Amino acid sequence: MWLETKKKIRITKQSVTTILYPVLFGVLVAVLWQTQVLHKMIGADTFTLPLPGRIFAIISDNAPEIMLNVRATVIVALGGLVLGSLLGYLLAILATMFPKWGVGGLTVVSAFNAIPIIAIAPILNNLTKDFSKDPNTRSMLAKMLVVMIMCTVSMSINAYRGFTELKPFSLDLMTSYAASKTTVFFKLRVPNSIPYMFTALRVSVPGSVISALVSEYFAEYIIGVGRQIRENIVLAQYATAWAYITVACAIGIILYVVLLIVEGILLKGRR
Amino acid sequence: MEKVKKALTSNKMVTFVWVLGLIGVWEIGATVIAQSKRTPENVLPHLYQILDSVFSDKLINSTQTALQVVLSNAGITLIRALIGFLIGIAIGFILAFFMSMFKLVEKTFFPYLMIIQMIPILGMAPIILAVTKNIDSSRIVIAAILTFYPVATNTLAGFKAVEKEKRELMYSISATNFQIYSKLMVPSCMPYFFTGLKIAAPMAITASILVDTLQGGGGLGTMLSQSLKHAMSIYVFWQIVFFSAIIGILSYYLMVVIEKLLSPYKRIKKAKKGVSVVGD
Repeated sequence: MWLETKKKIRITKQSVTTILYPVLFGVLVAVLWQTQVLHKMIGADTFTLPLPGRIFAIISDNAPEIMLNVRATVIVALGGLVLGSLLGYLLAILATMFPKWGVGGLTVVSAFNAIPIIAIAPILNNLTKDFSKDPNTRSMLAKMLVVMIMCTVSMSINAYRGFTELKPFSLDLMTSYAASKTTVFFKLRVPNSIPYMFTALRVSVPGSVISALVSEYFAEYIIGVGRQIRENIVLAQYATAWAYITVACAIGIILYVVLLIVEGILLKGRR
Repeated sequence: MEKVKKALTSNKMVTFVWVLGLIGVWEIGATVIAQSKRTPENVLPHLYQILDSVFSDKLINSTQTALQVVLSNAGITLIRALIGFLIGIAIGFILAFFMSMFKLVEKTFFPYLMIIQMIPILGMAPIILAVTKNIDSSRIVIAAILTFYPVATNTLAGFKAVEKEKRELMYSISATNFQIYSKLMVPSCMPYFFTGLKIAAPMAITASILVDTLQGGGGLGTMLSQSLKHAMSIYVFWQIVFFSAIIGILSYYLMVVIEKLLSPYKRIKKAKKGVSVVGD
């Protein structure tokens, strides 16, 4: 009994330091920033690197406008993420059905991963010019397609692994039941692929935000958090640009946390 | 006959057919667009037109052909990407090393390593340019930041994956800390380290090109945006698109080759288990 309580205390002490150290470090950086010691260290001034207080003041002052841009970015990121993940999953299914040709296809697809977004975004901008009369709609589509391409790869490769890297003998067991291919697919392969899906999403959720921001740079219609960062810097309004950067970081973190929560709920007891 | 059949179904053949298929799709698209648009080369030119522009010796500005423009600017961009990449590797590896040596360092920095993966660093490129005020150093800084965290997280995972028994064995034969790291920890984390490099290499190049687009001067990105604005032949744009795609893919395979050269066959097998980190 006594031993057990002691162990518990030790665990809590462990977890306290786990939280305490990073928080202390964060506070240290914030203090250095606010007192402008950080500025001296990297040789910046308060004009290009405004104080945190000012950044948050700008965020709260411009809340409606910022929200408008956030909405545009989030729609692009999530839309592209959903489209890309569905397409990737579909490709993985095809690759599982036709292993010989499918795997070769996946190798080619994985090469897309190394292509810089900067090369893809302008092409898609040009391709979607005729899609709609409204520049907002068509640049939205172009941005979404960029995000889609970036998200397809990780989903297709991971889902394929989920379909094929089954537990030992489970496929033999299914065969011994004389299970049809469809049954094997839905009862064995699909459930097995779920954790792999989340592995893919952990890569592609932050990736989708990054691609959305960068594709905004090249888009025709000026909207979105990424574009605002750039526009404000061109206008030398660095404080506003920092406000948008803070917002962009918040989007990335919030989406990732949402993913972790969904994963925790769906994969309860599976990991 | 048997040989022909084998050659036809080999993996290389499959990849080759896929690439042919992609080229086919591109060409069909290009043909459709060539008939429906007034300036098809702005939207989707035929591949042979792009190839043609690569080998043409027509000057597109006062002194250079299209290919010379692309290559001379690629030099500027890639050298900066490489410097940033090397700095990033050094910082990432040293950080991972200290994190595995000292619990305090790991506890302090690990959460930030996780957070930095979630935030869009590329989106911060303009502000880093504003802070450093110099296009060259901001290219290096951003390439370094994008390189350091995949390297750090993967290397740390590699240090952690070393079996406890091995460390205990080293300890029992009274190996010093230096010996433990140089004989056991560092060699066995190499596959993970290279997983990090493979993720980071294309990212460093992307970052470098993106930073170029923000300001004049030289570099692939600058040429890309100038060409898009029709300040020079649009084929420069297409050449840069293909060039950056090829360089991105090559940078990945360069890491694979270096890994194979540096590590014996057995270690490579383990590399598949490295953690995945955000890539773009």
